[in-house]
Amino acid sequence: MINSEKLGHILQNFVAGLSEIQGAAIVTPDGLSLSSALPPGMDEERVAAMSAAMLSLGERIGSELSRGSIERVLIEGEQGYSILMDCGQDALLLVLAHKSAKQGILQLEIKRIVAELKLIFN
Amino acid sequence: MKVSKRAIRLKLYYGESFNMTNATLTETQLRSELGDFNSIICFRALITGLEEALGEKAALISAIAAGRIRGKNLVAELGLAGQKPALEEATAAMSQALGKEGTRLCIIDKIEATDSGYRVYCRETVCSAGEPQGSSRTLSFTLGAVQGALETMMGQRLRGTQVESVLRGGQYDVIELNLR
Repeated sequence: MINSEKLGHILQNFVAGLSEIQGAAIVTPDGLSLSSALPPGMDEERVAAMSAAMLSLGERIGSELSRGSIERVLIEGEQGYSILMDCGQDALLLVLAHKSAKQGILQLEIKRIVAELKLIFN
Repeated sequence: MKVSKRAIRLKLYYGESFNMTNATLTETQLRSELGDFNSIICFRALITGLEEALGEKAALISAIAAGRIRGKNLVAELGLAGQKPALEEATAAMSQALGKEGTRLCIIDKIEATDSGYRVYCRETVCSAGEPQGSSRTLSFTLGAVQGALETMMGQRLRGTQVESVLRGGQYDVIELNLR
């Protein structure tokens, strides 16, 4: 059984570790929330379903348009970034970051947490 | 005001468009000539069309999510949100709302408690209807609706998976819901 307390702890540390990270969620591939640290007002369940659908749509685009396997889906908006990453077969990670976030640092932090999550899910 | 069972059923069926104060109306149709049911053929075309456009996985996620919202709203309308009813009562309420007397999504024969959640036995699900024996198709909207309804009734977060299918030798489409 997945330890949701541990997942919550990892997420909270991740979000608190970098001021430009505004929120994060761990979601099952079928769109259910496992743990989240999202900004107030965001519907956790809706975010989970959207994230899973978006990542699988990215995978579909990768396959249909011959882009190969997808590492991440990045949505760049006026206010910031939404990044979706696969964490193995059982989970995916959503990260919300402010526009001012430095891409290099952000990617390093995401890589670190994904490695940590993969250990839990594998 | 005493509200008849029929009025409750109509309210569940029509949602907010049915006014309980008009409970004496025999039928409220959303369409004057065709009535309120449409064919499973069109439902299947919607699902297969979404699969074609978005891919099977994204379509599945979307249909499950839509079903969960339907299940949650249904239970809220039934006044059973967070009420933790006995499983017999939950089965009866869901059967009436979703079965022959309701929207005809499926027949729910039984809900069992398991060590880690629930097991729901469904028949004649709209998701499996018309599929050939041996088909790999799984429940989507139906699974979501059952999950959303039970989550809201019981105040628990569940994860649903289909563990048996009438398309693959089962007597029922069985949904297992585990606590997450």
